[in-house]
Amino acid sequence: MTGSQLSYLVMEIGCVLLSNGAETYRVEESMTRICLSMGAQEAEIFVVPTTIILGITMTNGEHLTRTRRLHLRGIDLTKVECTNNLSRRICYESLSYNNSIFEINRIKNKLPYPYYLQVLSFAFVAQLFTLFFGGNLVDSCIAFIIGLIIKLQFDIMTRFEGNIFFINIVGGAIAASISLFMLKIGLTHQIDAIIIGSIMTLVPGLSITNSIRDVIAGDYLSGLIKGIEALLIGTGIATGVAIPLSLLKSFWGI
Amino acid sequence: MAFLLPSIYAFGASLAFAIVFNIRKDKLLLSALGGAIGQLTFILFQLVIPNDITLYLLSTIAISLYAEILARVTKSPTTIYLIVALIPLVPGGGVYYTMLHFIKGEIDLGIITGLHTLGISGALAMGIVITSSSVTLLRKIIITTQKKKKKVEVKQ
Repeated sequence: MTGSQLSYLVMEIGCVLLSNGAETYRVEESMTRICLSMGAQEAEIFVVPTTIILGITMTNGEHLTRTRRLHLRGIDLTKVECTNNLSRRICYESLSYNNSIFEINRIKNKLPYPYYLQVLSFAFVAQLFTLFFGGNLVDSCIAFIIGLIIKLQFDIMTRFEGNIFFINIVGGAIAASISLFMLKIGLTHQIDAIIIGSIMTLVPGLSITNSIRDVIAGDYLSGLIKGIEALLIGTGIATGVAIPLSLLKSFWGI
Repeated sequence: MAFLLPSIYAFGASLAFAIVFNIRKDKLLLSALGGAIGQLTFILFQLVIPNDITLYLLSTIAISLYAEILARVTKSPTTIYLIVALIPLVPGGGVYYTMLHFIKGEIDLGIITGLHTLGISGALAMGIVITSSSVTLLRKIIITTQKKKKKVEVKQ
């Protein structure tokens, strides 16, 4: 495997890992291991949540640097797991270049669960958390509807590249407005449980977990970035819920 | 039954979250079980310990231990099991009530609730730090001793 082939393959693997929700230290470790096992003399890799910088020196003295900036980040833990297994296979079974590229493309094109199932499970999250926080069956059905609407709003705004802070403000505002409307027409009297249950769908679980795990592994920079992301999302949700609660409550006199 | 109900809800919510995060089909149930384990630990120790920040710490330790063990057994990243199980413990209610106190103008109650929520988040973080660091340390000690044994065998 030549230097440019190796750097291309390693960069592809790093990108798939980082853009689908792997921790920073996992990306750095997998990339370094593949480089060293496939014949590089030195491999220096620097990863932050939006950029990968890779510099390798081959045994014949050839030196190469590659940089890639990531714009789209999603969550797909199946891809993370498969890529993790692939990098282990490349290290221990020394796959050829063509086979590795074929495998990484196969992982990239893997389809997620069908869209209707994702929307439904998002709504079920809202319903079950409402029950969890002490709502009754009617409350949970209202939360189910709110969950459906929030998921659709989330996807539409993500497609138009709205920023994450604003998306969460609107999500929180939708949850609070619909619950207040249901309180107004007398379907429920426990809006606390409904609102908490619906905003639990927006909670940044991945950012929280990854930020803690990155700090443990010694990547303070990435840990800090993800921690701030989680804090911003949390503040956004609280702000979004606060706007309808403080405005509509005064106007409707609930 | 009233004791078990929260853990059943947590199991269902974790299962739905596992689908949202796109976890592979054969690991959906295993990862969702983590959410139920966290709530079960919380409820069981509630009978003994009155302070709920300690309870959150204990549940997080239970969850991360479960996640670390399963990750070693099934040879997959720890995050798959940890993220999904952690979400039912995230203090969404605390954040909501803090905000509610502030918009009602009850600043003192808001600060008390906010600090309590901060304490819970700290307990979650510390639970993961303690478990994951001790598991890593233990693994490294085992690997080093095995290497030493092999060296001794080679010399003999």
